[in-house]
Amino acid sequence: MIDNQKLTSNTQKPAYNSQSPILWENIEALLHQIQKPGRYVGGEFNAIHKPWETVTTRVCLAFPDLYDLGMSNFALQILYDILNRDENTLAERTYLPAPDMIAAMRQQNMPLYALESYRPVAAFDILAISTAYEQLFTNTLETLDLAGLPIRAADRDERHPLVVGGGHGAFNPEPICEFFDFFIIGEAEEVIIELVKRFPQIRGLPRETQLKALLDIKGLYIPRFYRVDITTEKTLAGITALIPEAPLPIQRRIVGTLPPTPVRQIVPNIETTHDRGVIEIQRGCTHGCRFCQAGIITRPVRERPAKEIIENVFAIAAATGYNEIGFLSLSSADHTEIETLLQTLQQQCAGLHLGFSLPSLRIDAFSVALAEGLTGSRKSGFTFAPEAATEVLRRRINKEIHTEDLLTIAEEVFQRGWRTLKLYFMIGLPGETDEDVLAIADLAHELRRIGARLGGRKTEIHVSISTFVPKPQTAFQWEALADADTIARRQALLFRNLRGRGFKVSWNKYPGTAIEALLTRGDRRLNLIIERAWQLGARFDAWDEWWNLDAWEQALAELAPGLFGSVEALQKYYMYRERSEDETFPWDHLLSGVERRFLLQDMHRSRAGEFLSDCREMCHACGILQYYANLRSPEWRCPQPGRSSKAIQPQVTGSENLP
Amino acid sequence: MNEQDVMSLRVRLTFATSGPLAYVSVLDLGRLWERALRRAAMPLRYSQGFNPRPKMQFAAPLPTGCGSEVEWLDIWLTEPREPAVMKAALADQCPPDLRVTEITWVPEDAPPLSEQMEAVTYRVLLRDVDVAELQAACARLLEAESILRAKRGRRRDQHYDLRHLIEMLTVTPAPEPWTVAVEMRLKAQAGATGRPDEVLNALGLADAPRRCTRTGLLLKTVTEKANL
Repeated sequence: MIDNQKLTSNTQKPAYNSQSPILWENIEALLHQIQKPGRYVGGEFNAIHKPWETVTTRVCLAFPDLYDLGMSNFALQILYDILNRDENTLAERTYLPAPDMIAAMRQQNMPLYALESYRPVAAFDILAISTAYEQLFTNTLETLDLAGLPIRAADRDERHPLVVGGGHGAFNPEPICEFFDFFIIGEAEEVIIELVKRFPQIRGLPRETQLKALLDIKGLYIPRFYRVDITTEKTLAGITALIPEAPLPIQRRIVGTLPPTPVRQIVPNIETTHDRGVIEIQRGCTHGCRFCQAGIITRPVRERPAKEIIENVFAIAAATGYNEIGFLSLSSADHTEIETLLQTLQQQCAGLHLGFSLPSLRIDAFSVALAEGLTGSRKSGFTFAPEAATEVLRRRINKEIHTEDLLTIAEEVFQRGWRTLKLYFMIGLPGETDEDVLAIADLAHELRRIGARLGGRKTEIHVSISTFVPKPQTAFQWEALADADTIARRQALLFRNLRGRGFKVSWNKYPGTAIEALLTRGDRRLNLIIERAWQLGARFDAWDEWWNLDAWEQALAELAPGLFGSVEALQKYYMYRERSEDETFPWDHLLSGVERRFLLQDMHRSRAGEFLSDCREMCHACGILQYYANLRSPEWRCPQPGRSSKAIQPQVTGSENLP
Repeated sequence: MNEQDVMSLRVRLTFATSGPLAYVSVLDLGRLWERALRRAAMPLRYSQGFNPRPKMQFAAPLPTGCGSEVEWLDIWLTEPREPAVMKAALADQCPPDLRVTEITWVPEDAPPLSEQMEAVTYRVLLRDVDVAELQAACARLLEAESILRAKRGRRRDQHYDLRHLIEMLTVTPAPEPWTVAVEMRLKAQAGATGRPDEVLNALGLADAPRRCTRTGLLLKTVTEKANL
């Protein structure tokens, strides 16, 4: 046998300047000891490499989590496409490396680089970081730090890129507002172009001057121009604009018509989370589920015409070679042309080995028929998202499904050959009792019996349980997060009653949910806590194998006493407190277009157990039509405004009352 | 007439990968080829069943972290295509670091490439290595009767003899910025496939930065190297 001896001598660390590209040899030198090295090398088909010197504005689009996830984020694909179409702009991509690569890069002092040119992220003019969800917040600090940038906006100046956030998480950006120069509130397709066109005029100016010059771009929120006051009781007093040019409130930007589908989509060389072409067939949702933030902040519903979708399908298939195209929307079966669309595609795609996937189907016979046509012989699993198992609770959350219908549709599903039924439920909903939770188990057993009868003994019921988090900008923003004991008891109830053959149960761990709730509901005081948690090692908060609860607990233990007296007081303040109707929320200055008045009415409807009908049928005057009247296009699925005046009447509250 | 001039629905692609593409797995490479061939509108023959896949066979799986100067991939079509036409169609449809060098017809009944494999040659470029020590380490390794190493994955408690898989191992000069190259010929047969990183580990080079390239595929019946 031969001993393994070390033959390598000590290598000198290469010096990196923040402007020129990192040499391939230096990247390559790290990769042999790294898991999934294909994440860090670029070289994908359809990636766009523009010469650095030929443009006036250079944007780095960052997703602060692994490549595998970030490549599946369609918002960044859209922006990449739009920015690179502009001849004076280039856009490249970067993702947060996994811990093994981060360690290797730090050991070599190698800064985070973009995958197209291998240029350091710090060399770009604008660094746009996705704030899609709260578990990306600590990763955002890691991304900035790995890029060699000061993490706080106040410590950066005009030598550093402008750091901009955007995505659903930006509807309460306060917990991370000190790390960003500004946020894009709402849909970025038009704003980002206004921004890159403005940039050459502000290049090199002092940072404060740069930001002031952006104040007239609508939909930008620049936190440093606002002051948040805290009362002596530690509650929020309100937000004040510090200079007259700073708008208040800041209204969400939307596009009147969906932007063209990116056709030359980047085809990753390694397997990613959603490894397929994507077409956004619809934006927005009319169901009005009260827990759902996306359903509020993506209004109104805009449909892409079927004709355009079909053209997109063939163009994407030819440009990417994908054998699957996913149709993106919050509720696919709602698309008014979905049936003819799928029929046409089935005819035209016969023999092409091209499949389609439809996420977010409703629980109805129509959706089952649609899915049957889609999957053909592939009977992987059918998904239902009833969210709650009792009628009372479904009224509370405005999920209008009736148990008897659900059972009938389940029969349909099993009769048509599916063997697995996946069910999504939430626990910890406002007004929930232990009986509501036991009803989840009863329903699952009932469905299992139906499955066994119609599909045989091998049928399986997968139950996925998440804990409800009251999200900003929703009717439930006044509600509290259920506490740890309640959730532990209800999870235990479920496990005790969902044991045995044919069931598979998965759930979110409560500590992670609690941190998510803290981050989504927090105010400016959270910046300090997030920064401290990150310093103590918190990152990859969405990853079971990497997330670090101890870091969060220690950060809270260190900082909560000074802010609120104790950790318990802080948790009660942000998470466990039902809010009064006149509560000042940290996100009150950001206007989604759905008015607080409407959300509050809807909260009352929830407590009264009233459904609110799908607003395609009748306008409930949420505020969108009023705020965005000038953008309205035929693709909107809002009813004609003439009918909306009726809905303002307070007596129109539940579907029972509607014509 | 040369066998390769007979029109066939089985086609052999000879290709090279380099740079970033060296860092994909063999599964990734299969997916990547399927997509490139679909973009080029090749009439691929798909399997039947639940999850139809195009019929494709590599000669020998390329380890993650290795580029290659010569790889073979057999694909099956549903209607014949002229190799020159295929090559032109593929030209703009491959990722930047994938280069098709040759396309030929292969008789449909020819045995699978993997069954014909004898050995594979690799060149590993290394930096910051003491050449004399490396030469000594290679000599020690070649003199050894057996080198037992743990298997990978689920059977990591079992061992195999790495020495038996090494047919050739030499140290040669390398271009800047590399210090030296290790050339090796490793067995590549069913149940007996050598991996270049295992050889580097045995040489005490587990941590050494490297660029690994497959330089040739050797078939059992044909003795010449594929790329020469």
